[in-house]
Amino acid sequence: MTKSNGSRRVVVTGQGVVTPLGTGVEKFWCAMKAGQCGIREVQSFPTEDLYITIAGEVPDFEPRERLQSKALLLADKYSQYAGCAAHEAVLQSGMEMPLKGDPAYRSACIIGSGVGGLTTLEFSYKMLFKENKRATHPLTLLKSIGSSASAHCSIEYGITGPVFGVVSACSTATHSIGLVYRMIKEGLVDRGLAGAAEASLNWGATRAWQAMRVLSPDGLRPFSKNRNGTVLAEGAGILMLEEYEEAKARGANILAEIKGFGMTADAADMVNPSIDGASTAMQMALDDAKLSPSDIDYINAHGTATAVNDINETRAIKRVFGNAANNLSISSTKSMHGHCLGAGGGIEAVAVIKALEENFVPPTLGLDEPDEECDLDYTPKVGRERDVNYAMSNSFAFGGLNAVLVFGPAPA
Amino acid sequence: LEFGWTRKNAGRESDMDDVAEKIIEILRKNMKDPSKPVALETPLSDLEIESLDLAVIVFDIEDTFGIEIPYNANEEVEAFATVGSVVDRVKSIIATTKASGAAA
Repeated sequence: MTKSNGSRRVVVTGQGVVTPLGTGVEKFWCAMKAGQCGIREVQSFPTEDLYITIAGEVPDFEPRERLQSKALLLADKYSQYAGCAAHEAVLQSGMEMPLKGDPAYRSACIIGSGVGGLTTLEFSYKMLFKENKRATHPLTLLKSIGSSASAHCSIEYGITGPVFGVVSACSTATHSIGLVYRMIKEGLVDRGLAGAAEASLNWGATRAWQAMRVLSPDGLRPFSKNRNGTVLAEGAGILMLEEYEEAKARGANILAEIKGFGMTADAADMVNPSIDGASTAMQMALDDAKLSPSDIDYINAHGTATAVNDINETRAIKRVFGNAANNLSISSTKSMHGHCLGAGGGIEAVAVIKALEENFVPPTLGLDEPDEECDLDYTPKVGRERDVNYAMSNSFAFGGLNAVLVFGPAPA
Repeated sequence: LEFGWTRKNAGRESDMDDVAEKIIEILRKNMKDPSKPVALETPLSDLEIESLDLAVIVFDIEDTFGIEIPYNANEEVEAFATVGSVVDRVKSIIATTKASGAAA
């Protein structure tokens, strides 16, 4: 079952999302192909005393329709999103669940979150400090911890191998996917759920983000001269990863192969990203994939639409890709689904896999004013058909935490 | 200690009003080297104040004066070019806040 290190390949056999463009991969992808935007006026909490009043809220999540177990129905929304996305990925993989015996121990479930059950905490503190309640709900702690999404999913599917959450702000999902990829590649496990979930849209968190002065009051316009910040969003993006020979042996439908993963840290500044950190992570992912820059057709950029990210990311891409940068299709799908924070890289991995599958590059909405410092092809406003054989997904988080994945077609 | 320094080296600062003094005090708290001279015409860039520092400074000013200052770190804001322009901006916001408070 376990081949020697280095020869094991890792494929994606299932994917699931919960996003501001809708729940489920088909709905999500169709909306992106059509260039729809999931950023709207906030519905779920009062905004009259805020100056940021827009966000990417999931519009169609009905827990009772989406979740199977009572445990998940009682969980924080971030775990519910994870449970829903994991369920879609598991169903698509066709894997027999729950797992039992040795295969269960040789399975991972790494589902992270930027902040876990923050909304549960906000509600509980409000009850204690403002409403003077004598106690909090008994599930407050279990709902809020950052490992509850991974624990819930392990229980749903009987996964008894490595199960934990990863925390790296906006790189969380990409780090999670990269870790499970490495675990499978190196023979620690044979399969695993990987990704992240985030549901931290609430009044207190918006206040905190507002105070950092990095949010846009009117829209997320990546790489555009008139960009003025990012827009918070929520959701989940989860992949089922498997060792290739085993997936093939059980006749699984293989969606894509994970070719490479790179991770670095800037070790420099909490908010100002470095070209070195970002470009080295991209180069590491290419080296791991044994691909050259000209092999990459599409980059799903981190593209947060902050002044500093978009310039730094453009410069980092140019450093790694050289002349090949001019032949790349790039887009920031955050322009459509918003900045889903920890979940972003998982949702964007699904965008990349669909781009490979359908040879279609989703657009960057809101790019109406070219910026001389951001001068690559960001697929402005309208997506386009193009052969996509290999694609890269970038995640660059606060603190300078960088994670990059390279995806390719299902092995022939 | 910082406070003592401000008094001793006041020089130009002695001409300053209460708003300016409070703002300079806030700026000094966020400077790597608070002993550097700060005058109204000093550009904030000379004080090694970066975007995140500016967010902290704006928060502190808002808290001190009970006002709200529109500021987006993604945009170049003329009102944050020099110490004097911050002082002017804060004064005008205080005036507007008072006026609207009186009207209400």
